[in-house]
Amino acid sequence: MTRFEAIGIACRRLTDEPVVASLGHPAYELFAHGDRPLNFYTWGSMGLTSSIALGVALARPDRRVIALDGDGSLLMNLGTLATIGGCAPGNLVVLVFDNQAYGTTGGQPTATAGRADLEAAARAMGIERTATVRDAESLERILDESWREKGPWVIVAKVDESAPGAKPPLDCVSIKNRFMEGLRQ
Amino acid sequence: MPGRWSTEGSAADITPAWAVGVSDGLWAAGCRHVVYVPDNPLSHILAALARDHEEVVTLLATREEEAVGIAAGLYLGGAKPALLMQSSGVGNMLNALGSLLLAYQIPAVVIVSMRGDPGEWNWAQVPMGRAVGPVLDAFGVQHLSIDRAEEARSSVLAVANLAFSTRTPAACLLPRRLTVPVEGGRS
Repeated sequence: MTRFEAIGIACRRLTDEPVVASLGHPAYELFAHGDRPLNFYTWGSMGLTSSIALGVALARPDRRVIALDGDGSLLMNLGTLATIGGCAPGNLVVLVFDNQAYGTTGGQPTATAGRADLEAAARAMGIERTATVRDAESLERILDESWREKGPWVIVAKVDESAPGAKPPLDCVSIKNRFMEGLRQ
Repeated sequence: MPGRWSTEGSAADITPAWAVGVSDGLWAAGCRHVVYVPDNPLSHILAALARDHEEVVTLLATREEEAVGIAAGLYLGGAKPALLMQSSGVGNMLNALGSLLLAYQIPAVVIVSMRGDPGEWNWAQVPMGRAVGPVLDAFGVQHLSIDRAEEARSSVLAVANLAFSTRTPAACLLPRRLTVPVEGGRS
């Protein structure tokens, strides 16, 4: 399963869910699967995707909020797993695409290429709904469950790198305004 | 400095007037979410919020950069977030300040408890403390210093107006002369 395929599996479930995507390839591929106002594409602040999604989830407990994070990004801000575990918003789904590499910057290996285990980290920080999946069928199944059952969820999808074919618009302020307007509706 | 007694009533629970002012200012500005990484003076603000404005949700972050991310998400979801951090934490949040809050025009009221300014005893706090003002200036983030307790509420309100009306982060600095008055000897 490539990251592009995995993001497609997540996108097919989206209705009114706000989605926060990590900068670089995850954001590019979210855009490639279909632009929508409720997509928040980060262009910087590496590591903060799941933290931003946590903030949205706390402000809008009526919506299921999805973070599309990467292994290298989450490793930069592992502490946020402790925060998510602590305040435990039931409406947060963190989907981590773990390609064991810094895909956007040239494929240098991350710590998950060695001994690091992000699902175990999430569990150790008090997050009870977790999974690691390696194929499309398992991802479909666990996403269905995360849409049904209260979270917070941390789902680690082991993926192969894919080559993004498109980039979202670069206008950060428009991305924000559109996202906020979409959330008000 | 005059203080109000908290409901717990022990001497250690006196909430200083400057902290009540900051807490009241955040409330008056409509901030109902406060994301913080603690330090000693900031605990007085948290105590004042808990006592006087229990509707305010306070959320502990593990690091100031993470706190910026959470605050940004809160704003995206319709809230008016405030950030509480020590001056050392300003150093920890800078890339997020630039590439998230400023790039996307996401506002936040940032309350900074100063270390390294007059009254400091720990040299390790001094370089970052000295850099706070110039670093915020370099990012174009406006900041003021609350020098007297009586100014606290109106200063926070003024900074919040700037932040939320013009969609930018803006900061109130709390100098040690305000938060940890030196009464002879090491503070």
